[in-house]
Amino acid sequence: MRKQDIVIMANKNLWRRKARTILTCLGVVIGTASIVVMLSIGIGLKETMERDMARWGSLNIIRIYPGMQYDREGSPSGEAKRLNDETVAELKVISGVVAVSPAFEVNGEARLGRKQGWLNIIGMDLNTLEDMEFSVEHGRLPSPGESFTIVAGSQVINQFWDERAARSRGGFDYEHEQQDPAELLNQRITVSVNNYSNPQNIKKYNFTVVGILDDKNMDRSWQVYGSLDDIKRIRDFMMQATSGGESGSPSQMPFKEGPMVSSRRDPRQEDTSNDYNYILVRTKDVAQTKKVSSELRERGYNAYSMADSLEGIEKTSRTIQAVLGGIGGITLFVAALGITNTMVMSIYERTREIGIIKVIGASFADVRAIFLMEAALIGFMGGILGLGLSYLASYVVNTIAGGYIQQGMMGGPGGSISVIPLWLALGAVAFAIFIGIASGYYPANRAIKLSPIVAIRNE
Amino acid sequence: MKPIIQAEKIIKKYRMGTEVVSVLNSIDLNIYPGEILAILGTSGSGKTTFLNLAAGLERPTKGDIIIDGHNLNKISEKKMAVFRRRYIGFVFQLYNLVPSLTALENAVLPLIFEGVPARERDKKGRELLKEMGLGNRMRHKPSELSGGQRQRVSIARAMINNPRIIFADEPTGNLDSKTTVEILNLLTSTVRASGQTLMMVTHDIKVADYGDRIVEMVDGNIFNDEPNGSSGLPPEEGKEKKS
Repeated sequence: MRKQDIVIMANKNLWRRKARTILTCLGVVIGTASIVVMLSIGIGLKETMERDMARWGSLNIIRIYPGMQYDREGSPSGEAKRLNDETVAELKVISGVVAVSPAFEVNGEARLGRKQGWLNIIGMDLNTLEDMEFSVEHGRLPSPGESFTIVAGSQVINQFWDERAARSRGGFDYEHEQQDPAELLNQRITVSVNNYSNPQNIKKYNFTVVGILDDKNMDRSWQVYGSLDDIKRIRDFMMQATSGGESGSPSQMPFKEGPMVSSRRDPRQEDTSNDYNYILVRTKDVAQTKKVSSELRERGYNAYSMADSLEGIEKTSRTIQAVLGGIGGITLFVAALGITNTMVMSIYERTREIGIIKVIGASFADVRAIFLMEAALIGFMGGILGLGLSYLASYVVNTIAGGYIQQGMMGGPGGSISVIPLWLALGAVAFAIFIGIASGYYPANRAIKLSPIVAIRNE
Repeated sequence: MKPIIQAEKIIKKYRMGTEVVSVLNSIDLNIYPGEILAILGTSGSGKTTFLNLAAGLERPTKGDIIIDGHNLNKISEKKMAVFRRRYIGFVFQLYNLVPSLTALENAVLPLIFEGVPARERDKKGRELLKEMGLGNRMRHKPSELSGGQRQRVSIARAMINNPRIIFADEPTGNLDSKTTVEILNLLTSTVRASGQTLMMVTHDIKVADYGDRIVEMVDGNIFNDEPNGSSGLPPEEGKEKKS
């Protein structure tokens, strides 16, 4: 029997009992729609959570701090790992790693024209900025080889205040209004830092802002980024021991800030003053991040990434999806029973007809194919209509309920509560067809077993 | 001549509750190619059972049925459908057309299962239905046809894939006498024209008279088996002896 004939015949048979077929289909429609809508809500929740997390820091970046890796009980495991060029070289060859950048970090008082503020400056390997997902809203990223050019986070402008203007308004006002980040572009910022051992020893550095970061990554919005060498130079100056004194010894420190330096370094170890403050590792995707991050911890590094926290979220959302999908699944299961019931009834009605086609040469395979096709068609139609209903329901949920949630979420980006990805849409229809075939299996076998004699007996 | 159907010591017993009823008691019968055989018997004589066994719709309790060299006992239930499709056409008392299909669709049904493309089988079906005098009834459902017309569709369906043997179970049992004559003439002439073998079961001596040979069954035994000719009612179109 040819495939198109099976389809045509099955379709014809179905529409002999329109009402019954439609009602059976309706069961599948509701079943499919409930599964799809439930799962889409689970997916929507997960996406919203992930998006929110990504705003707090990239999911593809691992940050490695110096020092020990601590296990869950809080006791140190392994020895403290140093962060130097050897480490960078070691990290670069780990599979899944796209880019590695060491970082130096310094803080200092800053001046922007008449305004003053406090600046957190991070020196990075400028070659890796793009790989590290730096993207500018205005201007450009500092190019490798440039000196004292920086890119500033979108909130940096708000770190500066005009003391005189504030005073004239009567005191310190903390609630200064938000300023336009673009104002900072091409401005010169002067940063003053003092030597740790000798706070009287102050140096000023001038930076030119060549770009403003977009605000996708809130982790970076309060910092400025420049070249590794520049920041190292500032840091070297800050950590420089006062002449004649032994480096890092607290007793030699004239002021209380002294111990800050010495406590950071273990005097028994070799000179660690050139070690990086931290190292950033960019991986290909979230899955790689998780893998690499746990590998680094195994190697004894103090590694952390946002993706690590993602696991908990994923586990939660999997549970939510399982529960929601299960509710939908029950509905579809009931629909499957409906299909079986319809097919069994249909076989009772068509006993004679089944006998006839067997007598005139329909093979077992033909009879089975016809009945399975009928059941599959019910599943297919129900699946397609159910998917249509799901899109409608999804739209309604997103427009009505989405509005309320957005109001409560302090201007987060437009997140959808219900998301139907393509795989879910296709999977739902395929699943509905599968359900149809599975439900038709028992009736089809009954049809096969019918004796042609009983069927054609002259009653 | 080699028989096309050989029945050897066919015994068929049914279990009716606790009782075992013997329907056929060791039937031996040879049917030859091109023969029109009428099996005559009252209800309960076992004639329909014998036809069902010969057509492979049922299995004998004992004995062999050999069609064109194929022992039906050795053909699995699964393959039997294909065997029937190739060798056997059926005409029933109650026509047994599929009510949801048109006359044409019913007639070409065996070709659908054979996997013949739609255009080809429809062409064949149309030609055959025209021969059956149903040229203007092709798109009608069985419910829109008279008994005689339905039986013509049923004959067309039996003939469509040129089977070697046609089985007819009381083909005129539900028809009036005028239509009965029409149908029997149509059936026998078509069978003869294409050199097929016809095995027809009836309780009606007038119907049986269309056969070249009449086998009379009583209580599961062959009571009488002789060439037709002794009867005083010859069929209209005249008889040729089997070659």
